Formats: sequence, C-alpha cells, structure tokens
Amino acid sequence: MTSLWVAFITGITTGGLSCMAVQGGLLASSLASQIEKDLAAPLHSSSRQRTFRIALPIMLFLTSKLVIYTILGALLGGLGQVIQITPTTQAIFQFVIAVFILGNALRMLNVHPIFRYFTFEPPASITRYIRRKAKGNTSLFTPILLGVLTVLIPCGVTQTMMAAALTAGSPLLGAALMFSFTLGTSPVFFVLSYFAARLSVKVEKYFVRVVAIALIVLSVLAFDTGLNLLGSRYSLTRLVNSINKNPAVAGLLQPGLTGEDLPANVLVLNAENNGYRPTRLHAPAETAVTLNVVTDDTRSCTRAFLIPDIDFGVILKATGTEVIEIPPQKEGTIMPYTCSMGMYTGEIVFDL
Amino acid sequence: MVVKDFRVSDMTCVNCAMRLQGLEDDLPGVVEVKASYRTQIMSVKFDINRITESQIIEAVRLLGYTAKPFDSQS
Repeated sequence: MTSLWVAFITGITTGGLSCMAVQGGLLASSLASQIEKDLAAPLHSSSRQRTFRIALPIMLFLTSKLVIYTILGALLGGLGQVIQITPTTQAIFQFVIAVFILGNALRMLNVHPIFRYFTFEPPASITRYIRRKAKGNTSLFTPILLGVLTVLIPCGVTQTMMAAALTAGSPLLGAALMFSFTLGTSPVFFVLSYFAARLSVKVEKYFVRVVAIALIVLSVLAFDTGLNLLGSRYSLTRLVNSINKNPAVAGLLQPGLTGEDLPANVLVLNAENNGYRPTRLHAPAETAVTLNVVTDDTRSCTRAFLIPDIDFGVILKATGTEVIEIPPQKEGTIMPYTCSMGMYTGEIVFDL
Repeated sequence: MVVKDFRVSDMTCVNCAMRLQGLEDDLPGVVEVKASYRTQIMSVKFDINRITESQIIEAVRLLGYTAKPFDSQS
C-alpha cells in the first residue's frame, strides 16, 4: 500500500511535469482537433459548453492513458522480467513521433494536402459505432487513440515506475502501481492543458497557428531527444551544453571522498534531480574505466541512465551507486551519456 | 439506390469528415456517408426516391460546408 502511495506522489510531483514534456505533443494534437472543430462549427455555443468541449478531450486522453498504463503494469507485473528497450529503439520512437507531430503542424498550417495524411482517419465503421454510442459526439476517437499511443513514449520517471512494476511480483500489483502513478500525473496534465486551451478561446482566431508552431517546437525537441538517445554530438542539447559549460565539479562518491582522490580510470558521476554533475568527465584512453553513477534521493528522470555508444541502459536506485565497466576507448573518443528522455546529457572525454 | 461523390473542399480536419458522416443518421433516404478529410471527398449512398442530390447539398450547407458534385471518372 505504501508503494502505491509513493507511486501516486511521484506521479503528481515529478512524473506529471516529466511526462508532460514528452507526451504533451500528443495531448496538444488531441486539443488541436477540438479547437479546429470549434472553429469549424457555428459560434453560438455557451461558455459552459465550450468549457465542456475542451475538458472532454483532455479527460478522454487521460482516461485512455490511465487504462493503457494500467494494462501495461499488469503485463509487466505478470512478466516479472526486465523488458530491455534499447536506446536505439527509444530513439526510433522519438523520430517517428517527431515526424508525426511536425506533419500535423504543417497540416494545420495548410502547407500542402499531403500533410492531411498525418492525421488519424478512423474507418467509417468505427466512427459510426462511436458516434451512435456517443450520440453524435464524434470527436472522441482522436484523444482516446492518442492517449493510448502515449504508451510508446514513456518519460524517464514512467520508465522508473515500469521497472518497479516489473519487480512488483504480480499482475495485480503491477497494474495497481502503474494506475497509482498515472493517476498522480493526471491532475498536472489536466490543469496545464485545460488552462492553455481556455486561454486559447480568447485568441481562437490565431490559436490554430499558435498550436501549429508549438507542435513544431515539440517536434524539434522530440527529434533532439532522439539524437541524444543515439549519442549524437550534434544535438541541440549538446550544443547548448557546450555553450553553457558547467564547472567540472568532481563527483562525490561519498561525503569526504571526491573523485579526485580516486585513480584516473575510476570516475564518479552524480545523477541529481536536475541533471548530471559534472557534465563532462575526463578519462584515460586505451584502458578500462569504471564509472560510478551516484544517486542520493534522486527522483527525476536522471535515474533512467543511458550510454548509447555501448548500448547500456539502467534504472538507477533512488539512492545508491551503480558501477559501470566501460571497455578501453581510443584517445579522443567522446562518449555521451544521457537520461532516457534525452533531456539531461553529458559526456566522457577519453583524453588523459 | 445510388452512390454519389461530392467534393467538400472546406473540410479542415478529421472532425469535419466525421460531422458529415453523421448525415447518414439525420437524413431520411441516406443509407451511408463516407467522408474523407484526406481526399476531401464525401461519398453518399442514398435512395433517389426519398431524397435528391440538391437536398443533400443543402444539408451539407447547413452544417457549414460546401458540397459540389464530383465525378471520379473525370
């Protein structure tokens, strides 16, 4: 019971914002459909009706997300074994999502008819079924489907919960864990998206364009995340990191013992809530290196730690040290590390 | 029973297509409506003894769209 409560609190705090950063594009797509419908329909509806029409797709999106993650939790709990999704697979998902979001943005801007193919156009038989079930409210399909699709792009905190569900020991507990966490993320999603959409009603004339531009930005971020997950040195995140270089503060293996006290081939990296410290580590070339990744009550997505070049990924404990053995590298090699969302990055430079 | 295609160029989203498909529930004599936002084509299967082409066009207009008869062969 305690673990379920912890999962809920994690969801309502770090999980909500973290997932919003990754899955916000899909929710924005859901709302975009509703706003477009509002614009297409005659504008003689009341404020209350509009409130409902904006709230409904958000609630459908969140409900379907809740259902699919609960099912996922049950599956993970039932499997009871680690499902390894490699960084490359995650990167491919991010690229697909980036293309989808960008295509949708260009469709909204009416750039070319070909971009109409970036929308989900459900078969008439399905819309007929939904329409008759919902008595004419036919816009239900898109947010439901997009809510389900969030399962393809779990954020780092969600992945941490997925790992917990794997070790839960039973489908019921795995489902309960993911349900609690996803339920916790829902208020953050709802409040952020609802007020964003309500604000939009006042400027609805321009909102489609505003949403389209927001989608383009999200698309770029998703693409950048994909690049980070592949370990590319040419991502925007790395470019920004290289401009704003953090001071190369030595990592703390434990109080009173700094990385500087250790042999050159033993590195210490702190995974903190707001990133990795330091963002650049120096290591000797042509020799095996031991990387100690240290967490101390860490709750953010930095716990989902990846080194794409050696196809390594691990969910770090909230508090502890993960020891990673890195094989010898050529002099001058730059080995990026990242959280699984591609938000926080850093690199090991083999130049000693 | 005939099937007639209409071009509806002011469908701006999938929801528009779904609204048009809803005509099959509202118009007596219309058996089936398939509308595609992608192709901007609405295909209507209807009973010519119960409803005319111009009545369908008028019903579409009342929804806020413009339907023009479309011959896919041309």
